Amino acid sequence: MGKKSFLRRRIHWILVLCLALAFIGPSLAGLAAAAEKAKLTVWWNKGYYKEEDEGMKKLATEFGQYNNVEVDITFTIQDDLSPKIISALIARRVPDVAFCFFTDWQIAPKFAWDGKLADVTDVINDLKPRYLESHLKTGWLYNNAEKKWSYYSIPIEAQALGSHYWKDLVQEAGFDPDPKKIPMKWNEYWAFWKKVQDNLRKKDPAKYGKVFGIGMTSSSRATDTFYNFEQYLLAFHGEILSPEGKVVAAEPKNRDAVVKTLAFFTSIYSEGYVPSDALTWTDADNNVNFSNKTVVMTPNPSISIPGAHFFTNKDNYYNKIGSILQPASPVDGKGYPYLVSVKPIIIPKDAKEQVLAKKFIRYILGTKNFTAYVTASNGRWFPSFKDVAADPFFHNPKDPHVPVATDQHLNKPTRPFYYSYHPAYSQVYTENVWGKAISRVVTEKWTNEKAADEAIGRIQTIFTGWK
Amino acid sequence: MAQNIQATVISVVSHRRERWGGKTILGLAFCSPLILVFLVLVITPMLYEIYLGLDRTIYPAIFSDPIFIQTLWNTVIFVGVAVNVKMFLALVVSALFAADHWAVRILSGIFLLPWAIPSLPGILAFRWMLNGQWGIVNKILNDIGFAGYPWLVRRPTALAAAIVYHIWKYLPFWTLMFVAGRRSIPKDLYEASDIDGAQPLQKFRFITFPMLRNLYLICSLLSMVFTLGDFVIIKIMTGGAPGDSTHVLATLAYRYTFQMGKLDWGVGTFITALPVTLLFIFILIRWVK
Repeated sequence: MGKKSFLRRRIHWILVLCLALAFIGPSLAGLAAAAEKAKLTVWWNKGYYKEEDEGMKKLATEFGQYNNVEVDITFTIQDDLSPKIISALIARRVPDVAFCFFTDWQIAPKFAWDGKLADVTDVINDLKPRYLESHLKTGWLYNNAEKKWSYYSIPIEAQALGSHYWKDLVQEAGFDPDPKKIPMKWNEYWAFWKKVQDNLRKKDPAKYGKVFGIGMTSSSRATDTFYNFEQYLLAFHGEILSPEGKVVAAEPKNRDAVVKTLAFFTSIYSEGYVPSDALTWTDADNNVNFSNKTVVMTPNPSISIPGAHFFTNKDNYYNKIGSILQPASPVDGKGYPYLVSVKPIIIPKDAKEQVLAKKFIRYILGTKNFTAYVTASNGRWFPSFKDVAADPFFHNPKDPHVPVATDQHLNKPTRPFYYSYHPAYSQVYTENVWGKAISRVVTEKWTNEKAADEAIGRIQTIFTGWK
Repeated sequence: MAQNIQATVISVVSHRRERWGGKTILGLAFCSPLILVFLVLVITPMLYEIYLGLDRTIYPAIFSDPIFIQTLWNTVIFVGVAVNVKMFLALVVSALFAADHWAVRILSGIFLLPWAIPSLPGILAFRWMLNGQWGIVNKILNDIGFAGYPWLVRRPTALAAAIVYHIWKYLPFWTLMFVAGRRSIPKDLYEASDIDGAQPLQKFRFITFPMLRNLYLICSLLSMVFTLGDFVIIKIMTGGAPGDSTHVLATLAYRYTFQMGKLDWGVGTFITALPVTLLFIFILIRWVK
């Protein structure tokens, strides 16, 4: 009897054995895993500074030790983490805790609507007395699967639109660079930055020939574009949605405001006060252009720009860069609410360790722990909790930037973005309707009215798909 | 007679046993990992994609997106122009590299460099060179007295930049294919044509091109299938800007799926291109046979 016939006679048994192992193997592995300690999987946004990541890692380690659990925490940049979380939620193979800088507008409204996020009302109730009101509102989302509103995300930190400028360039242009001396009426404010550019170019064409007065992100690739647009739309007293979540952009008053806002963006671009490439910028590009001193002033939805200089060039941070808020409304000369983009933590509904996940979130959001974490971001993020915001870090009179943001969040009127009124608006953000409208006017030579009407029409179409 | 029938039946049964018993089952057992991988990683996702694509409501939704039709056109332009220009150039350039000379060997090494350079730094370098403010292309134009141009800020030039990069990057590879094809053409055909007094263009028309025709078509079809799914060049070079006017199907499907969380829209986007892709694959298979 040769080897061949031996195999031939036993092949059926070999196959049966293989199949049996295939079925039993995973179960045995599962039993072995069950005997090990619980594991909490956390996907966290990589911070801009290593102190942020180290601080979060330390908290995770401490939590693991206190609770005898293994905390598997990974840090990923937001551009990669957002698709990763979205894929996981679609595939239902999820982490227990997820935190990404894009969650507030790209993930939470859509997946709360789909019923794929865990209800976190119990955690919110514990934290409620500590919350800033406008930040808390952003966690209140609609679940279309269960037809109910509830808290499906836990807001922790926020950003709002400020502006930064080079004091030395302003001085070079012949103006007083003191933040208190920058004109804050709408027309005077923008005329000021145009004048700075004109003066600089006139003074030394070779040196300043390619320096622009205004670094306004106007691209369909950047989230900064709709941040800027919707903030200035409020300055023009325009509204896209009513608080009940109904599209009101087509109403004459609001359409007029959309057209005026669009005209403002496209005119400063066409007049040559914004770099031509601003139409293709990503979120990082206004920071890069500012740091390269090719723009004098840039609106930015956080104080990340001076924050980056803090670690590399203290002179820039303390003496050469100024931070201010936005000019008064062109309509009535008064202030208007600042939009706050509040970054939340989510727990997927399919997460295996939901109880542990909530315990972990409560732990890291404790006043002491969270203060240490959020201050490590060097003011880039403003905490959603009053007790953390009371920390001296946010009120240091010697700091020329952080207290400006503190004043904005604590003393000025603030309000959430429109996705808090209706989750369909998250799609409006993702499609970057305003970036597209700006491009229509600038590159395709549409009128502001036609581009505004297309954008409003698109918003209405998007809303009809969310029923 | 009965004995004959019995013998035939026994023969058939034993043949079947032989066929489905020993060797075939053993063969299947050895192939089973591959079959399993194929089923799990190719067939199942494809069936799931078709299942998702059967939802007719997604098509009105994606066609209502103002950029969708433009994206279809961009894909046609990107694939059509990039592949055909690249293939034509590869065919022409391969004539040079088919020559047997030491200088050609050195030159071919340099020529292959773009293919060896990773895509990401290559595309970023192109982006920087085409930057409207401080890119080297505008710098050179300014230095010789011309005004700069915002290359990536206008749809035609942004798409052209992506096409140029694609050609720059993949021309060496396809040239290499044609060089191999040219070297497999029997030399005696050229020798015979020399005796007949054929000119270089006549040699190309009556010998080289007919001999390379099949290879040219197969390479073109393969390249079209690859380019149709090319995501990286547009994503990094333009990101769809300005104003989402330079998206191709691959980048739009990515946006629908991974930024908007609409898997069905992403699938629908690819399914609209599926008839074309399947046609390419069908022709390709027929040709290879």
